[in-house]
Amino acid sequence: MEQVRADGFDEFAAARWSALLHVARLLTGGDRQRAEDLVQEALVKLWFAWPKVAEQAPEAYVRTVLVRLAARSARRRWWGERPVEQLPDRADPGDMSSAVAERSRLEAALALLSPKQRAAVVLRYYEDLPESQVAQALGCPVGTARSHASRGVARLRQILSDAVRPVG
Amino acid sequence: MDDFERDLSRLMRDTQQHTPYEPEHRQRLHAGIRSRRRSRLLWKAGGSAVAVAGLSVGLALLPSMLTRAQPADHRPQPTTSPTTSPDGTPTTAPPAPSTTPTEQPETTLPATMTGGVTPSGPTSEPAPDPTPTATASESRSGTTPPATPPPSPTRTTAPPSPVDSEEPSASVYPE
Repeated sequence: MEQVRADGFDEFAAARWSALLHVARLLTGGDRQRAEDLVQEALVKLWFAWPKVAEQAPEAYVRTVLVRLAARSARRRWWGERPVEQLPDRADPGDMSSAVAERSRLEAALALLSPKQRAAVVLRYYEDLPESQVAQALGCPVGTARSHASRGVARLRQILSDAVRPVG
Repeated sequence: MDDFERDLSRLMRDTQQHTPYEPEHRQRLHAGIRSRRRSRLLWKAGGSAVAVAGLSVGLALLPSMLTRAQPADHRPQPTTSPTTSPDGTPTTAPPAPSTTPTEQPETTLPATMTGGVTPSGPTSEPAPDPTPTATASESRSGTTPPATPPPSPTRTTAPPSPVDSEEPSASVYPE
């Protein structure tokens, strides 16, 4: 029984890992480490709910958990970061392809939104969810979710247009 | 959905990079699950221990609370003793006052004890002995013949009314 549960869960985790990590990364404004932590925590929660949600909608469940964890983690001030003697290796600026540069720009812009706005924008424009499901994931009324999404998009429009605007 | 929103949607999807689910991810995930399961068990055990402790404290306190209530119930007994013994001597009188007048209504019990005669009157033999006490029961049963013998004690237990009779009697005794 436990083995069947573990097998199904592992299959789901392996199949959705990449997509969940990307959502988490968008939700955290590009923080890869935090995104991994969020996905891990969401999947741990999913494990305990697996018998109930496995046959229904594990994806929706884990997405909702992810959004709420991201909103909660955004309120924390300290992330358990500790100073180290040697900095980890970073990619050289010259190695950045246009796709990576674009992603960095998007993540930097998303990081400037409030957690709720960011979650609403990601769920609406990346997951392509209807407003009702966005509201359900955010745990707020539909009108509030719509407001978060529209304000987030307006802010992104302003940020990204400023970034692209030619100097001088 | 305007152009910007379409671009935003496309940008979000295009920037997704494939990240394989590696064994280390799996190990880390299962380690997290084990850790969470352990903490859950600890929480459950702690909750059970608290619940058991609460129940045991409650059960330990319950008897003491009940015993506090019991004395009030047993107080009526002293009131009966004076009525039963009156035939013997006047010394019995003092206890009666001690039993406060408030408890008098319950003196009906004593009547049944000593003058159990009166309630079951017609058949019971003890009637003759507890003659003095019969006064109270007399007023209640009224019809029982055994009531006739108590004429002498009647002077002490003058009050006729059944329930109220005890109060006055208590006040009388002190005198």
